[in-house]
Amino acid sequence: MNSGLSKRWLWFSSISFSLVLMPLLLAIVSFASYIWQAQWLSYIFDTYTWRVVWFSWWQASLSTLISLSAAVLVARALARRQSFVGRWLLLRCFSVALVVPTIIAVFGIILLHGKYGYVNQLWSWFGGQPQSYVYGITGILLAHVFFNLPLATRILLQRLEAINGETWRLSSQLGMNSKDLWRHIEWPHIKGVLPQLAALVFALCFTSFAIVMTLGGGPKATTIEVAIFQAIRFDFDIAKAVYLSLLQMVFCGVILWAGLRLGRSIDIFVSIQTSTKNLRPDLKPFWGIVSDTLVLVLATLLVLVPLLAVVIAGINTAWFDVLFDLRLWNAFNNTLWVALGSASVSLLMASGLLLAQRHWRDRNASAALAVEWMGSVILVVPPLVLATGLFIGLNRHVNIFAINLYIVVLVNALMGLPYMLRVLSVAYLKIDKDYGRLCSSLGVQGWHRLQQVEWPILRKPISLALALVAAMSAGDLGVVALFGSPDIQTLPLLMYQRLGSYQSDAAGVTAVVLLGLCLTIFVVLERLVGGKGD
Amino acid sequence: MINFKQVSCCLGQQQFLYDLQIAQGQVVAIMGASGSGKSTLLNLLAGFITTDDDAARIIIGDQRVDLLEPAVRPVTTLFQEHNLFAHMSAFNNLALGIRTSLKLSEIEKTQVDKALEQVGLKGLGSRLPKELSGGQRQRVALGRALVRRKPVLLLDEPFSALDPALRQEMSALVKRLAMQNQLTVLLVTHEPKDALELANTVVFIEAGKVHWTGPSAAFLQHKDTHIKAYLGQSC
Repeated sequence: MNSGLSKRWLWFSSISFSLVLMPLLLAIVSFASYIWQAQWLSYIFDTYTWRVVWFSWWQASLSTLISLSAAVLVARALARRQSFVGRWLLLRCFSVALVVPTIIAVFGIILLHGKYGYVNQLWSWFGGQPQSYVYGITGILLAHVFFNLPLATRILLQRLEAINGETWRLSSQLGMNSKDLWRHIEWPHIKGVLPQLAALVFALCFTSFAIVMTLGGGPKATTIEVAIFQAIRFDFDIAKAVYLSLLQMVFCGVILWAGLRLGRSIDIFVSIQTSTKNLRPDLKPFWGIVSDTLVLVLATLLVLVPLLAVVIAGINTAWFDVLFDLRLWNAFNNTLWVALGSASVSLLMASGLLLAQRHWRDRNASAALAVEWMGSVILVVPPLVLATGLFIGLNRHVNIFAINLYIVVLVNALMGLPYMLRVLSVAYLKIDKDYGRLCSSLGVQGWHRLQQVEWPILRKPISLALALVAAMSAGDLGVVALFGSPDIQTLPLLMYQRLGSYQSDAAGVTAVVLLGLCLTIFVVLERLVGGKGD
Repeated sequence: MINFKQVSCCLGQQQFLYDLQIAQGQVVAIMGASGSGKSTLLNLLAGFITTDDDAARIIIGDQRVDLLEPAVRPVTTLFQEHNLFAHMSAFNNLALGIRTSLKLSEIEKTQVDKALEQVGLKGLGSRLPKELSGGQRQRVALGRALVRRKPVLLLDEPFSALDPALRQEMSALVKRLAMQNQLTVLLVTHEPKDALELANTVVFIEAGKVHWTGPSAAFLQHKDTHIKAYLGQSC
């Protein structure tokens, strides 16, 4: 028995449903109308398209393999060295990397590895010739590892930290060495999450847009996601974009299905709690200390140095010009609105879906499941595919560039929805499990339940989810690039143009402003909505 | 005073059917093996489970209650755990029993303070549940049961997580409060001692049905094979 939803709340839920479903349906309908126009045979036998498909799979596989193997090493080193001096800094950097806009990381990697970057300067100091290696697969891999190593490490580390003290005490008593510990304790603890983690990282790399667009450096290194964009913006071949979008959706569906089938589900934004302190028996051996230190220092460098390079590049004489440029503040404004708008719309969608899901759980199991699926369907539809669908669907009826900011907000809100749902649903459904009967026996329902029970418990997860989606949307480049026009700029788009036209001083300042905005949004939302910590 | 007439329900594979009368002011221990349906009886009375039979009736006093929402039934429940909202002070947890908006008048605030005093928690109203001991938390919940002023108190193994000494103390408290407020108490328990000390009647449940009802003292000496098997006495 459950306090049922009153009419008012059902209205609220149906607003959320239409916000989620309408864009998806519009995208599907507009795709369908192009299916008949597509020259299927010429597309299917197009060698360029197949090269793009092959490259998408190849770079995603490599990125996943490197990110995950490195993450296992880093997570293990972090778990072993709980008193490592840089541990706090490294974990902080890893959290920051989750919300850094893609274009910032790309900029940092170019500053570091570009033809005139720090690595080449060091190389020529030793007498070598500057090498151009960052554009193409190397740069793509560097950027993908920059983002996915922290994500994967945090999830693996949380699994390792969850091993209880008795296990470690027992292993010391049995005299296990480092290798035994790995085989009998650590590996069994992390192997359960690896399939889903691999699927997640693979999907993120497979659909990555901004990184490939900026660091791909030409037709040799192009992914399906970028090819869709080019088909629309450069070739004006919408039928081809539809064909590529369908391909992309099929591939994403397969990847996510495989991940779901293979392993247990994972929490994307885990909090790491160190409960057992230095109980492991393998902390003493010298080579272990050396290798762990090496791994941790390298990991810190990998994430910290690009970010530092960006900040250093921001300190230059262009400050004055850039800061007094109206375009910057115009872009700043738009970015802020996109971030806050997407986060709130996403929250609106998620809370409506969750309300409906809980309402139906006791009454109609298949309806509840359908709602749950609706949130996950978004994962199969990459941002650019959804944006493409909307672009095509709306283009015929309205002046798309007049409402583009709203569409950018809507698409980013939809993209954030799976993250929102993941963060919120566990806490939300737990309220019902723990307090459902108590609430109904006391008659705490409706507005009072929201005010007295749900808000105090949920404000922490809500703040985290809002902050995450806001920071992600502020850094969005794909959707904005598709809908953007010279009048509507956002900071990532402005940076992209400045990078493209080699205004590196101006790009540096813009990058620092964007980075500052993202981190401020994240921190302010988390504190303001989440209240003071426990 | 409490009357179960043909109250049936089905949970998973198991069928339950209760026919039972309990007089006002009784303290009744509900006993039986795990899974026999003790909690189900309480859940039906509180309204967390509903019966699927149109002929079924649950009557408290002269009011038919089986169609009512849990919050308006004349009963109040003490669960085994999760009785308190972890983010609310003891005072507010108690205040919820009076007004779910937590906007209390001065008189109502005094009521809450008085209830806290009655359960021996004077001055601890501002503490969060995590700052209270297990026994104190159950006392808060008991205090809330008092301020709700419902004539029937349902206790679902509420002291099973407490030490023996605390158990005894809580039993005595429940007994005293039940007398003072003329409550009818239904207590699910595994402890024959509870049945003797606290209750004057035992209801023994076996395989989803009321198998035996009678005075507590008679229960412990009974020759019925099911009861003896449950109490661990050889036949």
